[in-house]
Amino acid sequence: MNLISQALAKDLNLDKALGIFRVLDDQGVPDESLEPKLSKDFLLKIYEYMVRTRILDEWLLKLQRMGKVAIHAPNKGQEATMIGAALALREQDWMFPSYRELGALLVRGMSEEEIIDRAMANADDPLKGSDFAIYGSRDKKIVPAPVPVGNQIPHAVGFALAAKIMGDNIVVLTFFGDGATSRGDFHFGLNFAGLFKPPVVFVIQNNQWAISLPVRKQTAAPTLAVKGVAYGVPSIRVDGNDVLAVYSIAKEAVDKASSGEGPTLIESLTYRLGPHTTADDPRRYRSDEEVKRYEAKDPIPRFRRYLMYRGVLNEDLDREIWGRWRDYIETVVRRCLSKPELPEEVIFEDVYSEMPWNLREQLEEFRESLRVMKSLGLRVE
Amino acid sequence: MARIEKVKLPDIGEGIAEGEIVRWLVKKGDRVKQFQPLVEVLTDKANVEIPSPVSGRVVRFLASEGERVSVGSPIVEIELEGEAVEPEERAGSAEEVREGVSPELGEKVEVKKEERRVVVRAPPSVRKLARDLGIDLAKVKGTGPGGVITRDDVLRYAQAQQGAQAQATARAAEAEKIQVEAVEKPKAQTVKVEAAEQAVERIPLRGIRKIMAERMALAKSRIPHAYIVEEVDVTDLLSLRDHLAKYAEGKGIRLTILPFIVKAVVKALKEYPLLNSSLDEDRNEIVVKKYYNIGIAVDTEMGLVVPNIKNADRKGLFEIARDISMLASKARSGKLDLSDVRDGTFTITNIGSIGTVMGMPVINPPEVAILGVHRVVDKPVYIDGELKPRKVVNLSLSFDHRVIEGAYAARFLNLVKRYLEDPILLVVSDNELKV
Ligand SMILES: Cc1ncc(C[n+]2csc(CCOP(=O)(O)OP(=O)(O)O)c2C)c(N)n1
Ligand SMILES: [Mg+2]
Repeated sequence: MNLISQALAKDLNLDKALGIFRVLDDQGVPDESLEPKLSKDFLLKIYEYMVRTRILDEWLLKLQRMGKVAIHAPNKGQEATMIGAALALREQDWMFPSYRELGALLVRGMSEEEIIDRAMANADDPLKGSDFAIYGSRDKKIVPAPVPVGNQIPHAVGFALAAKIMGDNIVVLTFFGDGATSRGDFHFGLNFAGLFKPPVVFVIQNNQWAISLPVRKQTAAPTLAVKGVAYGVPSIRVDGNDVLAVYSIAKEAVDKASSGEGPTLIESLTYRLGPHTTADDPRRYRSDEEVKRYEAKDPIPRFRRYLMYRGVLNEDLDREIWGRWRDYIETVVRRCLSKPELPEEVIFEDVYSEMPWNLREQLEEFRESLRVMKSLGLRVE
Repeated sequence: MARIEKVKLPDIGEGIAEGEIVRWLVKKGDRVKQFQPLVEVLTDKANVEIPSPVSGRVVRFLASEGERVSVGSPIVEIELEGEAVEPEERAGSAEEVREGVSPELGEKVEVKKEERRVVVRAPPSVRKLARDLGIDLAKVKGTGPGGVITRDDVLRYAQAQQGAQAQATARAAEAEKIQVEAVEKPKAQTVKVEAAEQAVERIPLRGIRKIMAERMALAKSRIPHAYIVEEVDVTDLLSLRDHLAKYAEGKGIRLTILPFIVKAVVKALKEYPLLNSSLDEDRNEIVVKKYYNIGIAVDTEMGLVVPNIKNADRKGLFEIARDISMLASKARSGKLDLSDVRDGTFTITNIGSIGTVMGMPVINPPEVAILGVHRVVDKPVYIDGELKPRKVVNLSLSFDHRVIEGAYAARFLNLVKRYLEDPILLVVSDNELKV
């Protein structure tokens, strides 16, 4: 792993920010000099996280189309990056994700059921509908993603800096998109990180689009990773559809941060195969041919071929894994669908510890209008 | 018990209110499983596949391909798995089938496949552009990804259309010229044509004139106007005016019949409130206003403006007269405030002061009606079998037929006529004449 260490040495290495680090080729055949030595169980666990993420993602899209979920940002095609990076974290570490990291939530121990409950805002949603497809959990050390693109970057840096000052052995990993690197928050965060060297790992999910704006229209920089070099943050570009490459680099970055050697920026080159969100129609701005080209680089079949190449997986086991998770998640979906809805009144709760008189008055009016609307058979939105 | 589920167009998020049925992915009689794709729907934002919320058999389509349906309205009936339909219930639901939708739609869809309406794929901004230019998007070829029609496609199409039109005009002009030349001396004619071409002045459409142009275009293209006319004998009103004019003069007020008309209109509006409303097209609601700000159309050098008399129902005759002359002079000197022209509820245009006997005014949006007052003329009128010289004025009312029916408008105009022919009634309280 000489190459990786070299890439992440304290010295800045522009080549690594301009090149691309990969372990697997497109066919899933590993470069043996870079291949991490991972147990069979661990490899299968990575694969199962990818499978679960893909299935869950399809369900959330479907549930949105049925009017059961308000909005969803599809993950399809980006599973290797989110799962590879999140797996590098230790239990005590914190994660500041963006809105497109379902796989990372699963890795941190969040269940499909909790994710679907929250997405549907049913009676079991712990946040009672006030989260917007963006999940946080103090238990699992996940900070909810802010809606404004890239705001989590300075938050993560500040959190890591605080940990450093307090002497806590914590690493902070934050995910954000290519679009976020065009915002000020990225630059504020990177500048601080370069200067104060907090234990933070930045993972750019470069899925090549910020909604309808391609990366080449966002920046004149040759890669996004070179932006980190400019701030004095060791930076490396990896093949984000190669889960082993992402995992290896993220693991090194976490180890390095935890041993006091400061931040790392990882630009993970991937591709969003689905729409930006359920309110987006990508055919309006990108060609079907482009999507086809990247479907051929889908990280899941690529990793599957690697596992088969290494004899960790065979057709039967593969079918068993998909079947098991499909059945399980469908059962979970049905259960979530059968749960009662949240009562409308909850929008008044959790604003103040005790509801002030004006909110109580509004609540009464609201109840009255709901009653009238329902008695007239009107749809309550 | 048999149960039929009416599947509704789900709320597919982020402010989507309606969608267009692009394609049914199932046929009548098909068995569908829960979560199986049912229909392709095009919304303002995206083309989406809607999964079935239930398992069962497709009984009947309630919306056809190409139809726009709003969120929450039923689109297909599915007989739930293992539950046979009982005849009565079937009949019951048949009655609920919306107008214009054939119950056999399922079969028809099959037949229609060949000549299926072209599905237009275009973003909202392009749809608006096409609407503004009066272009039917179905005729425009899309060159964007997946056949999406782009802004450029629409502009190119518009230019091509314009080119074709200009060519046609040019050809017609050419033909005419040849004819003329055949009769007259060729040379002289050519010179004349050139001279005529040079003799134009181009006036930029700016400011009030531009606003007028836009609002009138909007009014005429959007509002289905209907018109009625009434002849009003104002002989008695004019003598009342003459009588009161003496008092008015003392206060520096020039009294015309217009303030009387404002009073008569306000009283009649109270009895026919729909004429004092506007149409909220987004919400499909008529907004009836409980205040009466009567607009007076004023012709100025810069164009037409319509300041309004605020709360005309609470003002006396002289006060209204004073407001009118104040607003008119403010308008002519270009000193109107925004508040003077905002929040009008009904407009009167006194075109007769210039001298027409008839005309159909254009509604001042978002109002729903406008009254045209024409020139007072001397006319012989039969009264009790005897011809009498009388002063007569034509009142024309243009109204928005989406909101108001002809009979309603006619009753309103009759009441205005009654107040003006028998002006003593103006002292009677609002609604006291109502039977
Ligand atoms: C400050 C800000 N500007 C604009 C938006 C609207 N918006 C939401 S997501 C997005 C694109 C972000 O692209 P990227 O960072 O590449 O992430 P991706 O969606 O590709 O995962 C934009 C512009 C926003 N949420 N916040
Ligand atoms: Mg992006």
